[in-house]
Amino acid sequence: MKLLVCIKQVGDDGDMNRFDAHALEEALLLKKQLGDLILEPVSVDVMTVGPPGAEAIIKRAFGMGADKGYHIVIENSGYVSSFVTASLLAGVAEKSSYDLILTGIMSEDMMSGQTGPMLAKILGLPWATGVMKTSLDLTGHAMEIEREMENGFRDCLVIRLPALLTIQAGINTPRYPTLSNMLAADKKQIITHTTADLFPGPFQEKESCVGMESPEKTRLARVLEGSLSNKAEQLFAFLRKKDFI
Amino acid sequence: MKQILIIAEIFQGQMRQVTLELVAAARKIAAGLYEKENLSAIQMPRIHIIVPSGSPMPLALEISKQTGMDVIGVQIPGFKTYTSEIYISCLGQLIKKMNPSHILVAHTSQGRDFAPGLSLELNAAAIPGINQIRCDENGLIYSRPVFDNTKNMLVCPTPGSPVVLTLMPGAFKPNIQEERKPGQVEIQKIPFQTDSDNKVHIQHQQILKRPGENQALKTAKVIVAAGQGIGEKENLTLIFKFAESLSSSSVGVSRPLVDRGWIGYEHQVGITGAMVAPEIYIACGISGSSQHIAGMKDAKFVISINENPSAPIFLHSDLCIVEDVLEFIPAFLTLYSKSH
Repeated sequence: MKLLVCIKQVGDDGDMNRFDAHALEEALLLKKQLGDLILEPVSVDVMTVGPPGAEAIIKRAFGMGADKGYHIVIENSGYVSSFVTASLLAGVAEKSSYDLILTGIMSEDMMSGQTGPMLAKILGLPWATGVMKTSLDLTGHAMEIEREMENGFRDCLVIRLPALLTIQAGINTPRYPTLSNMLAADKKQIITHTTADLFPGPFQEKESCVGMESPEKTRLARVLEGSLSNKAEQLFAFLRKKDFI
Repeated sequence: MKQILIIAEIFQGQMRQVTLELVAAARKIAAGLYEKENLSAIQMPRIHIIVPSGSPMPLALEISKQTGMDVIGVQIPGFKTYTSEIYISCLGQLIKKMNPSHILVAHTSQGRDFAPGLSLELNAAAIPGINQIRCDENGLIYSRPVFDNTKNMLVCPTPGSPVVLTLMPGAFKPNIQEERKPGQVEIQKIPFQTDSDNKVHIQHQQILKRPGENQALKTAKVIVAAGQGIGEKENLTLIFKFAESLSSSSVGVSRPLVDRGWIGYEHQVGITGAMVAPEIYIACGISGSSQHIAGMKDAKFVISINENPSAPIFLHSDLCIVEDVLEFIPAFLTLYSKSH
């Protein structure tokens, strides 16, 4: 049984997207459970689309226990849509017929939440987003899952495998890489692809980023001035005047 | 003539209020297209609300009355509850026939689940989580939060490409209007077509309600809420002490604290937790994710304490205190104990 986790490098520190770390943890937990249930070997691969430095998160994934790592190297530092990212991932993933693909519910930087479902759609797999609980069906052909909805509701589904799930934070606590895995990670080879291998010619984007701006304020946003104790006094006086003290 | 379609958000057989926000956004888009493309009144884009259901007539009629819009009830034989698979099959069939320029979906757990797949089914652009729509000389521009809500990215679909837009709940004000003439209602029967292998891949089982709704958060006049800025679980004690110093108060938290198991779900404020509207909301070390802001935006007065002056929460606060909560709250409590 083959599992794939799609991960992304985000932020100034170049960390693994936090939601993807939950997805990888879930895959590793499932590997453990499956190992006890079925005889065939279970593997967890990771795949990322990112600049040359993104291999750091693949090493981290090895440290957590991932088996194989794929890096689709993208030089373009501008806007890359979820559709293009999903198409690149699909170009590599389709060769391996994965039984289950996991990824985070969204990335912390672009916050789209589209790459997972789009990857599933391209590969012709069913998908479910915002998954907070997974349990394996004993047949190994389906999974019972719970999707998070608004106001404390959960949507309970049975999804046939192969399938793709996007994972919500709170499902588990991602493990730290172990020292022995990290040492072994240095010797592991990362399989790289260039975008040109997968997509000759320029990307056909269906939308473009035309600018960035700071969000507007929705309230007064008056800033209290003064020293720390002075600010505490002002807040104290305010709350007392309102009769809350 | 341009067509704008709104996919009504339906949960447990009822229309969700966010659908009215989609109507407001659709009107804005229609007005933008009208102005930009110099259309005559006859060419004014048509707006339809799509209502998928097993037997859509009653709900379709109700929605047409409530909104004054034309409604297409999509009758899906055997339909019980939403799954992405059914929606994409049935809505895909209908929308391909109608060939709209814009398809509006709520950016909710349901909309986020099917909209990306629908956009590929329709070979359309996809712009998720829109919080503003504006129109300038280049046409319609959509703004969406990125980088943990610290920035808005402005996005334009490629001209001529249809676009699936998911709109952030709470970002567009429903047009509240008096009596409207109900729109026309039409029913279209569209069967769910399974893939070539003739199997249903997603079986809906049930909808569960997570236990532990906190009545205290709903009735409290003051909510003291803690976020990741408190650093460690043990510092929740400080938050509780702060709350205890204030009358009719209760403690709330942002989602990451519940995810880490520091405190029960019943304290969670936000779209996936409790929606609250106290007199005063004091956000302590909360950065301000959109899902949290949406849960406390109806508070009468918001005070935020955060050491990061560019934390997005400050934009949604009346009073901003740029201090480390772990230093500020003890200073406040010292004043409190002196006065008591």
